[in-house]
Amino acid sequence: MEDLKHLVLLMTGILVAFTVVMTMVAYTVLAERRVLGFIQGRLGPNRVGPGGLLQPLADLIKFIFKEDIVPDKSTRFVYFLAPVIATVAALMSIVVYPFGPDIHLPFIDKTIQLVVARFDIALLYVLGVTSVGVYGIALAGWSSNNKYSLMGGLRSSAQMMSYELALGLGLIGVILQSGTLDLYSIVEQQAGHLGISGWNMFWVQPLGFLIYLIAAIAETNRVPFDLPEAETELVAGFHTEYSAMKFALFFLAEYVNMFTVSMLATTLFLGGWNGPFVHQLPWLGVFYFLGKVILFLFLYIWLRGTLPRFRFDQLMSFGWKFLVPVAIINIVITATIQWTGFFDLVGKYLKVSTGWWG
Amino acid sequence: MLVLLFIVFAGLAVGCAVSMVAQRNPLYGAISLIGVFISLACLYVTLAAPFIAAVQVIVYAGAIMVLVVFVIMLLNVEEEERLPLRLRSLIPIAVGLAAILFAEAAFIIFFVQASPATPTRNISDAGLTASIGAGLFTTYLLPFEITSILLLMAIVGAIALARRGGLLPQDAVVVPGAQVLARDVLDPLAPPEAPPIVAHTTTEVERQLGLEDVRHLVDDE
Repeated sequence: MEDLKHLVLLMTGILVAFTVVMTMVAYTVLAERRVLGFIQGRLGPNRVGPGGLLQPLADLIKFIFKEDIVPDKSTRFVYFLAPVIATVAALMSIVVYPFGPDIHLPFIDKTIQLVVARFDIALLYVLGVTSVGVYGIALAGWSSNNKYSLMGGLRSSAQMMSYELALGLGLIGVILQSGTLDLYSIVEQQAGHLGISGWNMFWVQPLGFLIYLIAAIAETNRVPFDLPEAETELVAGFHTEYSAMKFALFFLAEYVNMFTVSMLATTLFLGGWNGPFVHQLPWLGVFYFLGKVILFLFLYIWLRGTLPRFRFDQLMSFGWKFLVPVAIINIVITATIQWTGFFDLVGKYLKVSTGWWG
Repeated sequence: MLVLLFIVFAGLAVGCAVSMVAQRNPLYGAISLIGVFISLACLYVTLAAPFIAAVQVIVYAGAIMVLVVFVIMLLNVEEEERLPLRLRSLIPIAVGLAAILFAEAAFIIFFVQASPATPTRNISDAGLTASIGAGLFTTYLLPFEITSILLLMAIVGAIALARRGGLLPQDAVVVPGAQVLARDVLDPLAPPEAPPIVAHTTTEVERQLGLEDVRHLVDDE
């Protein structure tokens, strides 16, 4: 009975997190199209619903009813498997992010945690799940039996492998400094003046933050690192042969990945749900968290509107010869400072005098 | 609940392992092996060793197998023909080794677990991240460092072996028309101010890199 109750609670949590993320992902697509439109001096889609707000729904219906074409010479099983792997791997990591602080529900008198699954190795779980996501793209490229798809798949597996290393090394600084892999504790440690001064991004890990940000953009295959789908040379890259709902799944996976990467950046570097007056009004934490995530998503769109694409050898030498060494230097610096006890000193100064608002 | 999870994931692991051996398409074999690794990781989680589980997925499923899949895709390996078994004499040895393995498993199940000296409940925290980290950096520091040196040697050795001879494969073809290549793409040791290579053919590229002599040497062998 206890087991069943636990299971129902978990399922409810997953459903809520899934719905929130999916809705926001759908509107990220719309926001991207409109913001890109404004950047390029045009309007973007604004016909379906007020200001184009129903456009995601229209897109979805279009994707469902489009003709589904399977190439004759494709490797059937893998061709069907690839979008499934991509989507599942992208969605699996949303359960570990703390969306807000503990919230006391007034009418049923219960305190709930706004994180679906809180466990010891949450950060490693995120890295593991993301690393499996590579297969979606690589297998899609191989199974389509198309040279452009294959090139896209190869490029993406090389790129994601390389930048995963820089990404993981960039995160080690945060782990060293907080001493835990549990995302919830990492967020709690970042409270400070007004819930802002304790953010890892400001005074303990500015370099780690930059490394993570760059590597994360490369991990999600977005501009300026979108070589797997460079349309000027590879038609559409790994998803050239995919149509209708299977293409939509890849599309979805890309945006969910953007979203989870932004959530991780918020959790580790921007203090998660910390912000002014969260102690008095816990619900504010949810808005702070999602607001910070939206900032990152805007950054993604902004980059897409402004930056050109890397050449492949530039991409590789940037990843291996610049990002990885800098990440290692960051680890050495963080470890040294940690060893001298500087962080503890500053942390004490920042957290002792939280003032009347604390 | 745990028993149910064990049955599911153990079944998946065994099924994927059998499929990996039986598949004739190398890529299907690789995918099955990924399935084995992920099922094993899930089993580690049920055994209260989450760190090992995460590392299993990150290192084996996420890094090593990506390389394997990468190579299979690059070489475009065809389905294997079923050849007549050449090493027939090894079958009795294989059967013997398998029998020893089964005997070991049976010994653990029927004797070690039944012995009163074996703790029946999970009382150790050996699988937790903190205890693994503490162990690696105190008690087992020397083996840990030796392992990392060994891995570094393997990497350097692989590069040293692969770099012998020309940088371009013998049958490499440069698409007609002048190609402009940054010199450090082909020759990582080139100084940054070296001019880019403009060439029509592979031979021209090699001449500009000063690799002709190397090719002759390789050919003579």
